[in-house]
Amino acid sequence: MSDHALPMSRAAPDYNEAVVKKFIIATVFWAIVAFLVGVYIATELAWPQFNLGLSFINFGRLRPVHTSAAIFAFGGSALLGTSFYVVQRTCRARLFGGEALANFVFWGYQFFIVMAALSYVIGFSQSQEYAEPEWHLDVWLTIVWVAYAVIFIGTLMKREEPHIYVANWFYLAFILTIAVLHIGNNLAIPISLYSAKSYSVASGVQNAMIQWWYGHNAVGFFLTAGFLGMMYYFIPKAANRPIYSYRLSVVHFWSLIFMYIWAGPHHLHWTALPDWTQTLGMAFSIMLWMPSWGGMINGLMTLSGAWDKLRTDPGLRFSVTAVGFYGMATFEGPVMSIRDVNALSHYTDWGIGHVHSGALGWVAFISFGAIYYLVPVLWKRSGLYSARLASWHYWIATLGIVFYITSMWVAGIMQGLMWRAYDQFGFLQYSFAESVVAVHPYYVIRLLGGLMFLTGALIMVYNLIKTVHSPETERDVALPTAVAVAGE
Amino acid sequence: MNIEPSDLIVGLLMTAFGLIGLILASGAYDNEMYVFGLSLFGFACVFVAGLVRRHFDRLDAARAASDRHV
Repeated sequence: MSDHALPMSRAAPDYNEAVVKKFIIATVFWAIVAFLVGVYIATELAWPQFNLGLSFINFGRLRPVHTSAAIFAFGGSALLGTSFYVVQRTCRARLFGGEALANFVFWGYQFFIVMAALSYVIGFSQSQEYAEPEWHLDVWLTIVWVAYAVIFIGTLMKREEPHIYVANWFYLAFILTIAVLHIGNNLAIPISLYSAKSYSVASGVQNAMIQWWYGHNAVGFFLTAGFLGMMYYFIPKAANRPIYSYRLSVVHFWSLIFMYIWAGPHHLHWTALPDWTQTLGMAFSIMLWMPSWGGMINGLMTLSGAWDKLRTDPGLRFSVTAVGFYGMATFEGPVMSIRDVNALSHYTDWGIGHVHSGALGWVAFISFGAIYYLVPVLWKRSGLYSARLASWHYWIATLGIVFYITSMWVAGIMQGLMWRAYDQFGFLQYSFAESVVAVHPYYVIRLLGGLMFLTGALIMVYNLIKTVHSPETERDVALPTAVAVAGE
Repeated sequence: MNIEPSDLIVGLLMTAFGLIGLILASGAYDNEMYVFGLSLFGFACVFVAGLVRRHFDRLDAARAASDRHV
């Protein structure tokens, strides 16, 4: 997998790195937007006066801006950018479809993100979690996604390597499954072609079932499979070691994609959904422990013989910590999917804590690791401007996550216990408002955790800008080959 | 004109999307569709202008390279 010492007869093709650079810039930009909006809505939850009486910045409208900015804008840009980088390098082929199609995917995707955010703040939403955009935006995203799939699959088909590297399998599963989920969940009949509102094809409990088949697999295939593709390329590259077990990676792949798709019903425990369906979702969620931890072990063990690099390479430290958080979040998720645990955890802030241990610890950290690796490579610099600043970013962000998830665990379990507490006469012991008052301190601690995470990201932005522009990171001018050979 | 097939196909598609945007904005029943339609039209115009610019930049670069070889 080394970029160096290639035989002269197999010179690297002219890769399309321009579109990867654009996606990396977009990733960093949307990261700041997502974290900033997250911090603001956390402030609104702690002190509702921050809604300022303005409809377009109230919590209900900004919350989907935060989730979409984090998942689709930040996470999506990171996935599309790294997938374009990885598929070219591992297939030794330039992106299929030419520069124009790649640019269409980049700008078309950014257009979708901006239009979706704008529609939320002016009050338009389908009211389906992670699928808030109205039908016309769904159609636009489908067009962009098909173009993305054409580029990725076309590049795989014209590859000059006989083998399809496992990272591409994960990226491909992400691309194909998200297409199926997005179309399936958003089937709707518009009121009129000139109206943004529509009626969902499914209704009632079927609608809820389809929504959580989509919602959980948005986690499974967007936030897990895609980022596992990132893990399987960037950890071996940064550690300069082969994957611990290629066979385990293949078992990890097939078991993960087979099991994830069934787990959605655990979001609908104790609802009108038939009991057997809830049990099915719970059983598959628990079975998911096996592939998830197989993948985690594979990622961590790749460091065998290279653990010392964690001291000197903060980017790799982000990636490896991300794998740790992946293991932790994928342990916690199945526990929460057990119906009796879910009776306590559902609708509480425990869910928010769980989601953020995955989103901040896994998704954001694995992306930061890839960004710290890619920026010096893409901009042809000798290395990062400051490993020390990257280290500061790492520790501030890690501490921020700890504040965030521990406060939400405490708040969530407390809420669950307060809501189910009865007095000796059989009456509920606490009113809902009392549980809101009780969690207030934890909302402030959560805000502090978010602020720390945002601060770390701002340090990263400064470090990356200096990496690209500082004279200190300029590469030495290489000697012409003939001179170098003569000097040996 | 030596136009790249990718530029031509994407350019024609974007032209169609721009027209669709104008049609959606012209008959919009709500603010969302009006804003989306106009934005799609604007996005298509800027994207196609970018395709045209890059096409002529490539021609200029090729001409400059061939001049150097002469």
